[in-house]
Amino acid sequence: MATTEPSAYTPDIPSDPITRTTSTIHVSLTPHPLDSLSATRFVRSPSAGATVLFIGTTRDTFNGLPVSSLTYTSYTPLALSTLYSIASALLAKHALTKIAIVHKLGECPIGEESIVIAVSAPHRQAAWRAGEEALEETKKRAEIWKLERFEGGEGVWRANRDGVMGVKVEEGLGKGKGAGGEATE
Amino acid sequence: MTPGKSPAGHFSILYFAAASTFTAKSTEHLLAPVQAGKLFDRLEQKYPGIKDKVLSSCAVTVNLEYIDLDGDDAPNVDLVIKEGDEVAIIPPVSSG
Repeated sequence: MATTEPSAYTPDIPSDPITRTTSTIHVSLTPHPLDSLSATRFVRSPSAGATVLFIGTTRDTFNGLPVSSLTYTSYTPLALSTLYSIASALLAKHALTKIAIVHKLGECPIGEESIVIAVSAPHRQAAWRAGEEALEETKKRAEIWKLERFEGGEGVWRANRDGVMGVKVEEGLGKGKGAGGEATE
Repeated sequence: MTPGKSPAGHFSILYFAAASTFTAKSTEHLLAPVQAGKLFDRLEQKYPGIKDKVLSSCAVTVNLEYIDLDGDDAPNVDLVIKEGDEVAIIPPVSSG
């Protein structure tokens, strides 16, 4: 059967950010450009001596192939709850002061921010570690999918998990298997 | 992403990423009830080849909770998907 993704594939992207915020946790999925300064401001606190900010941006190549565009889709209610669960576990584990995780949805132009993570803690070690763990856990668990389109129009659903192949969109699922592995960062 | 309320006697199913490509849909309504352990067979009938090409690497949620269908004696194979439930096919994720 035909499994070709129309080139006009338009995933259902919310028109406004979907957010969950407490006094110490801010998680959000947004169709708008990411604002790293606002995430940094959220976590900044007089009781925190360290703030770590991670900004993930979309690369223009994958395995040497030129990427022309990226689009993120999500199961938003589940992804938001997963991000909140990651944030709240790290807050407790590393005795963080605050944490923010914000991910882009929809079209993400090459070179622009796709994810912003900000953490604050009394001391730097906890902030560094928690920042890295927050990114790794998000990449492993958040219900968000990246569609990479290569120059020439071919599209691939990327998979972060080791050993899982990306799936070429234009050729149908049976034939096309892209190289697996890391996508951005 | 909201599929809308299912018609009487149906549940909603959401397809993401490769599952959405294969079915050429993001959501539809299927007849309820169905035993969770039979869900992939039901989808295979409707979309031949999907089990091997897509579903074998996917997880499943029912009403935003993951269910465990891995193996014939997995904990949730006997769970019954009921009218009005929201089921989602979750391919390997790729955020970041």
